[in-house]
Amino acid sequence: MFNQPMPDQAMPPDENIALQVRNLDFFYGDFKGLNNVNLDVANKKVTAFIGPSGCGKSTLLRTFNRMYDLYPGQRAEGQIIFHGKNLLDKSQDVNLVRAKIGMVFQKPTPFPMTIYENIAFGVRLYERMSKSAMDDRVEWALNKAALWGEVKDKLQQNGLSLSGGQQQRLCIARAVAVKPDIVLLDEPTSALDPISTAKIEELINELKSEYTIAIVTHNMQQAARVSDFTAFMYLGELIEFNETGTIFMQPVKKQTEDYITGRFG
Amino acid sequence: MSEPSVSAGIDPHARQVRKFRLQDRFFHHTTQLFAFVVLAALVGILVSLTYEAWPSIKAFGPSFLWTNIWSVPDDEYGALAAIYGTVVTSVLALLIAVPISFGIALFLTETCPVWLRRPLGTAIELLAGIPSIVYGIWGLFVFAPLFADHIQPPLQALLGDVPVIGGWFSGPPIGVGILTASIVLSLMVIPFIASVMRDVFETVPHVLKESAYGLGCTTWEVARSVVLPYTRVGVIGGIMLGLGRALGETMAVTFVIGNANRINGSLFAPGTSIASTLANEFGEADPGLHIAALFELGLVLFIITFVVLAISRWLISRSMGSEGL
Amino acid sequence: MMSLYTRRIWINRIGITLSMLAMSIGLIALLWILWTLFSRGFAALSWDLFTQDTPAPGSEGGGLRNAIVGSGLILFFSMLISTPIGILAGIYLAEYGRVSRFASFTRFMTDIMLSAPSIVIGLFVYALFVVTTGGFSGWAGSLALALIAIPVVVRTTENMLKLVPTSLREAAFAVGAPRWQVSLKVTLRAVKSGVVTGVLLAMARITGETAPLLFTALNNQFFSTNMSEPMGNLPVVIFQFALSPYDNWVNLAWGGALLIALLVLAVNIGVRIVFRNKVKR
Repeated sequence: MFNQPMPDQAMPPDENIALQVRNLDFFYGDFKGLNNVNLDVANKKVTAFIGPSGCGKSTLLRTFNRMYDLYPGQRAEGQIIFHGKNLLDKSQDVNLVRAKIGMVFQKPTPFPMTIYENIAFGVRLYERMSKSAMDDRVEWALNKAALWGEVKDKLQQNGLSLSGGQQQRLCIARAVAVKPDIVLLDEPTSALDPISTAKIEELINELKSEYTIAIVTHNMQQAARVSDFTAFMYLGELIEFNETGTIFMQPVKKQTEDYITGRFG
Repeated sequence: MSEPSVSAGIDPHARQVRKFRLQDRFFHHTTQLFAFVVLAALVGILVSLTYEAWPSIKAFGPSFLWTNIWSVPDDEYGALAAIYGTVVTSVLALLIAVPISFGIALFLTETCPVWLRRPLGTAIELLAGIPSIVYGIWGLFVFAPLFADHIQPPLQALLGDVPVIGGWFSGPPIGVGILTASIVLSLMVIPFIASVMRDVFETVPHVLKESAYGLGCTTWEVARSVVLPYTRVGVIGGIMLGLGRALGETMAVTFVIGNANRINGSLFAPGTSIASTLANEFGEADPGLHIAALFELGLVLFIITFVVLAISRWLISRSMGSEGL
Repeated sequence: MMSLYTRRIWINRIGITLSMLAMSIGLIALLWILWTLFSRGFAALSWDLFTQDTPAPGSEGGGLRNAIVGSGLILFFSMLISTPIGILAGIYLAEYGRVSRFASFTRFMTDIMLSAPSIVIGLFVYALFVVTTGGFSGWAGSLALALIAIPVVVRTTENMLKLVPTSLREAAFAVGAPRWQVSLKVTLRAVKSGVVTGVLLAMARITGETAPLLFTALNNQFFSTNMSEPMGNLPVVIFQFALSPYDNWVNLAWGGALLIALLVLAVNIGVRIVFRNKVKR
């Protein structure tokens, strides 16, 4: 089982696939959080991860940008192929991986700085540009997140002064501003009211034309509304993965059907 | 770096990546260096005090610790009187402070109306904020005279003739002395012990307390049979913290202990402590054995408090870390 | 005969009463000390206190100008030394404390230093600095006080940084920021007010410290701003004057004690008010 060379590795990267997850195991110390997960995240599509709490859906998402690296005792084994390279390799620079694979969290996390700086902070890390180019980039990103109209007159205000829904869209703008390939959304609406939630879902629909999106959600209707593909996970295993329509209308596995019809979870 | 970076699109960032790595390493080592300052100070204290105390250590050997003599004219020094005063005042201070601190912590966590918790808690913390020299002059000018006039005589009348403990309350009621120092010290350590106790009491899970209340336990019974056993380790840690504070306290003690470098069985009698001996004599000490002996006193104090505080911190962190979860 | 139930109720009442008694003892002590301090201290307050220097033995009047200025200088420089050291060391403990044994060891030792007898710190600086530079000086005093303030700043900085939600830290890492930028530009900035609080509390802590100054800054009867010489300072003046036989000296000691206590209390109460509002938001 360990590190057998995978046949896929030799294949040229498929343009329609953004991430290939192969034989992925994840450990919290001695506890195995993910067990042999295999799936392809399609390029410029929305892939949703659903399942009961503790099923490993967030854990899986956090392997995509190696967020687990921050915590000693957590480790991933297997492969996640991104642009032809295994991003779990120790030699991969995590900062660069994260610049290419953005993330938005459950609770809005504006940085303790102005709205403008919230966006510019990430851009400045890897790009050098003039003040006016930066102004343009900030406006572009805020437009992408459908927030420009609401904040264009208060760019110098603290990001914390916005409402919860606005803060979350600011975080999306921040993730988009660095022009990543993939945006990871970890239950992005679970702390928001229904109206803000609807706005974010609308936004996801627009963003998928340019970005690959992976979203973890505990809300099955949301997964059905926004995603193209859905992965159902249970107890650290990927139970079923297919087009969203198929998962919701004709699930193959009994567990999936039970979960979707609300018989457990 | 044989492997190229993640993709062709971000290759131009290779230099930036290297820069960040170097900066992060620099950041790590710089902050580590500053953290090291604390450790260096600790080791420095131990080394420099030992070095300066060396003439005395050589001259008197370990018997320095149990010799009851402190004579500048004869150049002969022993630490017993100072150690005795330090230990007795600290232990007495704890005997007074621990029950009071327990009462305060219990009151603040269990019985106090919620709106009063914060102001009363702050008041106790302010007590900890008052500089020790203020305790000292208050003790000398206000508390000691009052103690001499209104507390010592009745205490003497009441307990002076009781066998064994009568001797503790003998001698002229002059206000300053071991007992006065202990009382002032106890006031100083109460806030420290009380706030640790309050913090560990708050780690008791509500369900645990509620299930005890659910059985029909009274507040007192919950405190005795649930809260206290559950937080035992932390409570002892808090008491040790108070002890560590009391052992090393200088100014408050110096003002009210009476500064007599001898051992007297009576608690009313003046005495001395390590810290007050240092405060009184160090400035005018003769170079040579006298100053070396004072350094050795300081070394003894440092080692005692270090051990007490280390135990205390270990207990508190154990209590807040594992049991508290 | 009392029933078991009534007995339990009575024990409870006694216990509760005793705990209220304990609380009142604490409060009475606080109020009593403050009352004494304010009544004796305000009586000693006058314009002269701030404009005249400490009097020679036996002479009338006098003030605390040299001691006030000296204390200010010593405090200023000790905070200048301890603030950066403390904050950076605190960042180290917060950033690397979970993984490194060295960090947990340092944290443990810092906790001990937090309560280490201040007079021993004075002895240390005497041996390290006064002996080697050949005399008592304001610098030595600042160094001793800085050593006492550092652990306070370290631990409050670390504790404040630990209050930063993990999601904020992760979000900063998630845009690809290196650790030093996450730490300095995001997490430290998020708890700026808390860190400032820590620095102020450290200052309050050392404002009244007397013991370590006895063997370092010593005292100076005359006005001086030369940090390389012995320097007058409030705590040592209070100590010497309070134990003196002269009435005007004892009065000055009360005045000085009031000044110190006012500063310390103002900082303690001030940061609590400011910080409470921050936390509420």
